[in-house]
Amino acid sequence: MGVLSALTRGLLRGADRMAEFTSKRGPRTFYKSRGARPTGVLTSSRKFIPVQAMIPQFVVPNLEGFNLKPYVSYKTPAGTEEPMTPEKLFSQVVAPQIERDIEEGVFNKENLEKYGLEKTQDGKLFKLYPKNFVR
Amino acid sequence: MRLTALLWMAAKSAFPHDYRYGTNRPWTIAAKRLNPPGKKRRKVFVEPIANEDWHVLRGDTVEILSGKDKGKQGKVSQVIRRRNWVMLEGLNTHYRYVGRSGDYRGTYIASEAPLLLKDVTLIDPTDRKPTDIEWRYTEEGERVRVSVRTGRIIPKPVYQRKDGIIPQQWKDGPKDTSPEDTLQKTYMPSLKTLEEEVMEKLNIQEDRKPRKSYWY
Repeated sequence: MGVLSALTRGLLRGADRMAEFTSKRGPRTFYKSRGARPTGVLTSSRKFIPVQAMIPQFVVPNLEGFNLKPYVSYKTPAGTEEPMTPEKLFSQVVAPQIERDIEEGVFNKENLEKYGLEKTQDGKLFKLYPKNFVR
Repeated sequence: MRLTALLWMAAKSAFPHDYRYGTNRPWTIAAKRLNPPGKKRRKVFVEPIANEDWHVLRGDTVEILSGKDKGKQGKVSQVIRRRNWVMLEGLNTHYRYVGRSGDYRGTYIASEAPLLLKDVTLIDPTDRKPTDIEWRYTEEGERVRVSVRTGRIIPKPVYQRKDGIIPQQWKDGPKDTSPEDTLQKTYMPSLKTLEEEVMEKLNIQEDRKPRKSYWY
């Protein structure tokens, strides 16, 4: 430890072994992707067939009357809205309907789907867990 | 010890417990040159002052009690809590050369030296004399600094941004959203995800189902 501490006082010897081994390092035969998703299929004859469904397409809505811009003015005071929690969401969206049904006498413990609560995530397109969409 | 273990230790704890904090910010090159990772210096003893008892804020006018510029009043430009230091604008200065290269000896500038908290007192705003300060509570329950001698409240200095922008005098550019538009509340809480709401709004029909996959 004494010898190494003497070395570290000036310059640390040797390469940084903990650095990420990206596609920019290594010999020219080393291939590694940087994380881009594929947009097609590579066949056995090394021909690439693009698949339209795998190419992302931007669906832009009509922006008429839309006043929000990229930056926010410095004159804006700090907002007073609290962050949304699951409890607040439940009490604002689901709880009034349940209360109304209890008062009418129609509340059924087996039929909670009509308030938006789901038993299973299986048939859905956007599953909450495991999350299968990128936000 | 292995080199990797040493490199990991150097990077892990950004600043050891006996790091000597100086006038340079610790992430600058000058500070890294003065305090490289393996260096150990003689320990400086700093009087522990609790966060509640610290009464000098940036932007306050204070008077110096001892030192070269004794008796002078100045504005606090920087507070370094780790060493109980206060840096005033243009006071307690020594002179040095900056930016020398080759034969050019550099620019001769005045650089401020830090002052300890006990060598500095706040000034009563009305009679502009130095006083002792206590933290007390007003009738509304607000915690304020009160000068012991006269009993007047010393207001907190106005916070000035380092980039010089004064929010009240800011002129909105073409890419700035106005305050009314920003503070408009348009969120309607619902149990749908953002993606489902967007699909509904734009009438996107998606009948395909993703293939079932398993992960462990």
